Amino acid sequence: MNVLVVDDFATMRKIIKNVLKQIGIESVVEAENGKMALDVLKKESIDLIISDWIMPEMTGIDFLKACKSDETIKNIPFLMVTAEAQKGCIMEAIKSGVDNYIVKPFTPDKLQSAIEKAKAKIGK
Amino acid sequence: MDIKYINPFIIAAQTVFKTMLGISAEMGKPALKNINRTSGDVTGIMGLVGDKKGTVAISLREAGARFVYKTLVGEECDSINQDVVDAIGEITNIISGQARKEFEKSGINLNAAIPMVIVGKEVEMNFITKIPIISLPFYFPLNNDNSKEKEVIYIDFSFE
Repeated sequence: MNVLVVDDFATMRKIIKNVLKQIGIESVVEAENGKMALDVLKKESIDLIISDWIMPEMTGIDFLKACKSDETIKNIPFLMVTAEAQKGCIMEAIKSGVDNYIVKPFTPDKLQSAIEKAKAKIGK
Repeated sequence: MDIKYINPFIIAAQTVFKTMLGISAEMGKPALKNINRTSGDVTGIMGLVGDKKGTVAISLREAGARFVYKTLVGEECDSINQDVVDAIGEITNIISGQARKEFEKSGINLNAAIPMVIVGKEVEMNFITKIPIISLPFYFPLNNDNSKEKEVIYIDFSFE
């Protein structure tokens, strides 16, 4: 299973990678914003996307919309992990096709559970 | 400043400290800051705009900042480097997000920005607002051993 982790903060990418490692996922590709993540998706086979919302260059919500409007990648489960906890943001992400939404701060268990659900969804 | 503007920052800070850092930080006496200077050695700053405007700054001394990095990532760090700066930026981002969620409950909608981090003691900051800055100190033991020696995280904000 190959996971794409998209966040402008290296600390958060490390935290997410640590949680992924705890559940046996070591194959992780990193990107610092949506634009870089789209470039990764053109080159690599990705099974799960975990993305922040507020990022420079291309935000997580614009990245989500780009993913869900592209026939070749729209079926990759998209997990949003963000500090944006306001109802309006959550509703916009749901309307844009997000598969799961986790608000920071989160416990490792919460993230782990969401990743397990995504894994089950894609049968891995 | 109305107390309804203070509580969201207290709730946000305590939620984030407990969930992300595993610490129950004890809040000290709030103080008014008369000078626009950073309280600690590393300071994450985020502007808040929307129905209201303001600035929040999360400031730590070096030992506290290294503790935050170690707790979040699980790696030791012996100085304030780019990794520590990044971690303080992320904590600022998360506390700001939680505070905005609390403000939303009072019908106040605020927008997010990308935080910036300043390294240095008593660096001058621009808080955009004209009202005084409130400084909330949160004390916590570095080794979770209830020792008397405690570090402090300052949440400084001005909001109108």
